[in-house]
Amino acid sequence: MSDGYKTLHPVKYYREFLSQGIRPDGREFNTFRPILLNVGSINTADGSAIAKVGNTTVVCGIKAELCKPKPDAPDCGFVVPNLELPPLCSAKFRPGPPSDQAQVLTQLIAEIITNSNCIDLRDLCIVRDKLAWCLFVDFVCLDFDGAVVDAAVVSLLGALKTVKLPLVEYDPALESTQVFLEEKKPIKLHSMPVSTTFAVFEDKIILKDPTLEEETLCSGVFTIVLKDDELCCVHKPGGSPLAPEELVKCIDESKLRTPLISSLIATTLKS
Amino acid sequence: METELTKSTFSCKLGILSRPDGSAILSKDNTTVIAGIYGPIEVKLQKLLIDKASVECHYRPKSGLPGIEDRMHESIIRNTCEASLVASLHPRTAVLVAIQELQNSGQLISCAVNAVCLACLHAGIDMKFMFGAVTCFSNGVEMSLNPPAQTHIKAVFVFVFDSTEKRVIASHTKGIFTKEQFEEAVELCRSGSDQVFDYYKKVLTN
Amino acid sequence: MPVDHKRINGPEDTVPYSLYTKTNKQSLTEQYEEIRKTGQRTDSRAFSEHRKIFVRTGAVSQAKGSAYIELDNTKVIVSVFDPREIPNRPDYSLKGELYCEFKFAPFSCHKRRLHVQDAEEKQHSAIMKRALESTVCLHEFPNFQVDVYATVLENDGSCLSAAITAAGLALAHAGVPMYDIITSVTMGIQRDTFFVDPTVTEQNICLYPRPSESDTEHGIVVLSKLHTHDQVSQFYQFGNVSLDKLNESISILDETCRELVPIVQKYLVKHVVKNLQRNT
Repeated sequence: MSDGYKTLHPVKYYREFLSQGIRPDGREFNTFRPILLNVGSINTADGSAIAKVGNTTVVCGIKAELCKPKPDAPDCGFVVPNLELPPLCSAKFRPGPPSDQAQVLTQLIAEIITNSNCIDLRDLCIVRDKLAWCLFVDFVCLDFDGAVVDAAVVSLLGALKTVKLPLVEYDPALESTQVFLEEKKPIKLHSMPVSTTFAVFEDKIILKDPTLEEETLCSGVFTIVLKDDELCCVHKPGGSPLAPEELVKCIDESKLRTPLISSLIATTLKS
Repeated sequence: METELTKSTFSCKLGILSRPDGSAILSKDNTTVIAGIYGPIEVKLQKLLIDKASVECHYRPKSGLPGIEDRMHESIIRNTCEASLVASLHPRTAVLVAIQELQNSGQLISCAVNAVCLACLHAGIDMKFMFGAVTCFSNGVEMSLNPPAQTHIKAVFVFVFDSTEKRVIASHTKGIFTKEQFEEAVELCRSGSDQVFDYYKKVLTN
Repeated sequence: MPVDHKRINGPEDTVPYSLYTKTNKQSLTEQYEEIRKTGQRTDSRAFSEHRKIFVRTGAVSQAKGSAYIELDNTKVIVSVFDPREIPNRPDYSLKGELYCEFKFAPFSCHKRRLHVQDAEEKQHSAIMKRALESTVCLHEFPNFQVDVYATVLENDGSCLSAAITAAGLALAHAGVPMYDIITSVTMGIQRDTFFVDPTVTEQNICLYPRPSESDTEHGIVVLSKLHTHDQVSQFYQFGNVSLDKLNESISILDETCRELVPIVQKYLVKHVVKNLQRNT
């Protein structure tokens, strides 16, 4: 019965739930979905992690390759993030080149990585102007159920923590390179960005960590990324107008997530 | 702290393109953008919405094909227009927003958003409110609405406000900043947006 | 390489670091000789032994049906969606269609895969389609197509057969009408050695004839079977294998396919029981 009502009048269905102060999945407005993290499960990647936020699942795999630094930045390596929303993860997507949404999310994640400075590109340089690491950070979304950026950022941290790069020796005279697989070193993570997504329902109610259903019914979605006590991204691409005070309130709300994620990563890495 | 946008930097001409229903060229501090609006027009079956008009946005950079950064601009502009246009007046149609970047010396997003708003006004399309974008720079200590000449920039904020209640429609940030700096930036841009809306009025009454 | 405007492109030429490692690793021929000498596979399985299978249904909440399969390190996820009208098709077709897409995740192989589907992936998609077509009751949904998407998260050999087995399970999980349970197994052949369910190294051993031998038989065989009807729905062979050996390999594969059936059945029964419990 309720299923039929939900399909016919999704907005009404939600409105009735939300007027009672609860969401259809049983959460309150400001509760997160549970997060699961699994690291190092993909052996073919140099670093990998699978993050699950509620149903949303994102796999992050990092492959390291060698290349020559750019002439205008001779002491910097590269980080190349790409997020894929394959048709596998939701009926919304069709096979073919990345959808607009995938492109926007890729750009957002790239900005989060550069803004938060979580990887210092200079750490990735091996020999100035000659040799540097290029980290291909690929995200594959396996289940698209809202707040994909949040899951992607968690999986990114998990994957970066597990990356181990082999020792490389470069002989400038012979221009020869040798890689020693026995000596592997982790890369340094300079900061820990934590992202929280919110959705605005009918210009009034702000829902934290929305599901796909909530994202589609809501009139606006925005993402706040924190790095410890500082902010590194407040991305609100249009949608319902919000008073600045409400935005600031959401920033405070998203601060609650940082300790959760850092303890999650710590416990996952320990086990 | 510089709270005055130097007014003379804006220059704009409406209706410079003959084909679109509304168009505007806007330049500020050597950043120039042309925006054109078509609509309501026929919609592709794929994007058809039964209860309102769908907004499409095409952004063309100075040269070459649009990349993923331009897609991000598109999404900001499209979602801002969706919030502002009275889309329910024209169900099963589309509104096409085309933007061509001509010159870029910073503050590109805010220039593009403002050009789109002027083009919408010129097209006479129904809107709930006008929207105006303001960029603000921070060097870690001070905020400024104009790009600081020499000092190191730590963060850049772009906010889009509506003209009625001055609420935030869109926000996009670069760099690292604290919560207090964010609040300061919003307030500064909010007051700066008055000048943008005043400028709109000036352009329309001339 | 042309610049992809819809993705972030890295620097122009990057090389995997494994190219610069010291070559103290055994060559494939040496590895093969050792396996032959000791009579043991590297993971100490018997030659006709399949790896342990782990399957789970319902891994993708947004899909109608989905399955995740693990053969030790090989990890494949498959999802199936509701039938939809066949796109760009003016005439009416009495039969429904299957659309299969097989994709390697960029980090799934030893060498980084590109995002765009390559020839191998296209071939695997076609094989999957052929294997599954005969097990789905296509006449039940005329003019509609069912989408089946498979993504390999990690490739340690036999990923095609894993994808086919998982796709059969995912189709059943989605409630698509089917004639039978489908299971699939890969085999690698090098001279007189048969590797059932080969790992990536074993697959590589079988890809080319090993030099310095007159006997150049080698190849890879993939066989998919419908269980109750005892029919072969798809057969793929690559390489150069004599008829006798091929017959022998088919009978081994047939046996292994049968061994997988109870595992798939167990999961389907679990799914049915769960649904019944929910409805009562």
